[in-house]
Amino acid sequence: MSIFEYNGSAVVAMVGKNCFAIASDRRLGVQLQTVATDFQRAFKIHDKLYIGLSGLATDAQTLYQRLVFRHKLYQLREERDMKPQTFASLVSALLYEKRFGPYFCQPVIAGLGDNDEPFICTMDCLGAKELAKDFVVSGTASESLYGACESMYKPGMEPEELFETISQALLASVDRDCLSGWGGYVLLVTPTEVQERVLKGRMD
Amino acid sequence: MRLDVSAIENNFAVHADDDGGIFGGAADLPAMQLPTCADFDGFQKATKELMKNKKGTTTLAFIFDKGVIVAADSRASMGGYISSQTVRKIIEINPYMLGTMAGGAADCQFWHRNLGIKCRLHELANKRRISVAGASKLLANILYSYRGMGLSIGTMIAGWDEKGPGLYYVDSEGARLVGTRFSVGSGSLYAYGILDEGYRFEMSVEEAGELARRAIYHATFRDGASGGCVSVYHVGPNGWKKLSGDDVGELHYQYYPAQATPVEQEMADAPAA
Repeated sequence: MSIFEYNGSAVVAMVGKNCFAIASDRRLGVQLQTVATDFQRAFKIHDKLYIGLSGLATDAQTLYQRLVFRHKLYQLREERDMKPQTFASLVSALLYEKRFGPYFCQPVIAGLGDNDEPFICTMDCLGAKELAKDFVVSGTASESLYGACESMYKPGMEPEELFETISQALLASVDRDCLSGWGGYVLLVTPTEVQERVLKGRMD
Repeated sequence: MRLDVSAIENNFAVHADDDGGIFGGAADLPAMQLPTCADFDGFQKATKELMKNKKGTTTLAFIFDKGVIVAADSRASMGGYISSQTVRKIIEINPYMLGTMAGGAADCQFWHRNLGIKCRLHELANKRRISVAGASKLLANILYSYRGMGLSIGTMIAGWDEKGPGLYYVDSEGARLVGTRFSVGSGSLYAYGILDEGYRFEMSVEEAGELARRAIYHATFRDGASGGCVSVYHVGPNGWKKLSGDDVGELHYQYYPAQATPVEQEMADAPAA
């Protein structure tokens, strides 16, 4: 198994009408053995910016800590929060710095930009950005996730419907993957509130 | 007088040279076809690597005072991908003997069916059922003759014969072990933890079935390559009977019901001024 499949992960983000949702699975494993079922992969940068990190868990945690550090510095200097597009460029640069010894992570970035316009993007482990208007996926279950999202996604969904769609897409996909699953964690972000929910999934 | 060994001959054993001449004339027994190529060993090694699978499964079997309990999960995985959640891993060799499947599905299915044929032939030739020891020996000898060629089988033969309940572990390396408790597969270590802790020789059939179900459930929870449904069979003096087949996803919430996590912070409307 490759290094990206050592811990197992599944992350997906979707855009709705003036809102977005980011979801991840909760399993932390060491190859086939499951070690934890409450592992956090989707993190908050600021109230309207979230990042999900799939791949090697240790790199995900380290990268998150470095990004929070950089964002706090930015906040001190600029006296405001970073825009999602700027943050995506920051992540991309940070990853490319390690071009010849990379972080084994694939980030998924989701945020509300100017005028609360939803923004999502993903990148590979070297920082190649991929912007999308509808959904982005990453992790060991990414192929299943692509299929599930493609068939379940509709543009302009309201928050409740978006939550339902992203949850079903995530649970259906991780049920076809040995290395991810064991529950789900969904963050639904609108201009006025953030809802976080834990999903009941198959625990096998 | 020459010993009549036609009942235990098989058409698939690779001919072993050193048999001491007892079975004289067996030199031209038909054997499974082997490929003709320049570098047979190299070819075998390459095909072995191609077909390599790591016995991603959990199966278990144990003997208790009322017979044998056999249980297995139902997931088939190809690397990280789950190819099926509904595989039947407990194979019914005949109405009083069961075999479990771990390793290559094709290998297990074929050789178990082949074993069933041999057992039936033995019954017809000798007017009595074959013992569990005899059946497992037949299988073990065949597998030993194919040793090193890349068969991947980790099976348990469980049955009830004149001596009572019988349980044997047979694998593609040629091992044949008699015992009272076995678990095979990538999730076997997790299943052993539950099985060894809860095992008693005197148990009712329901208790034994529940122990097996719990052990497989815990293995599906911890092991990524095990999952799907738990099938539990009981082999008694009158043959085997399927006790239960439960979906592991539902079993989890039966054993550990979900608790609603208290909401940390909730938005409320500001009181009207």
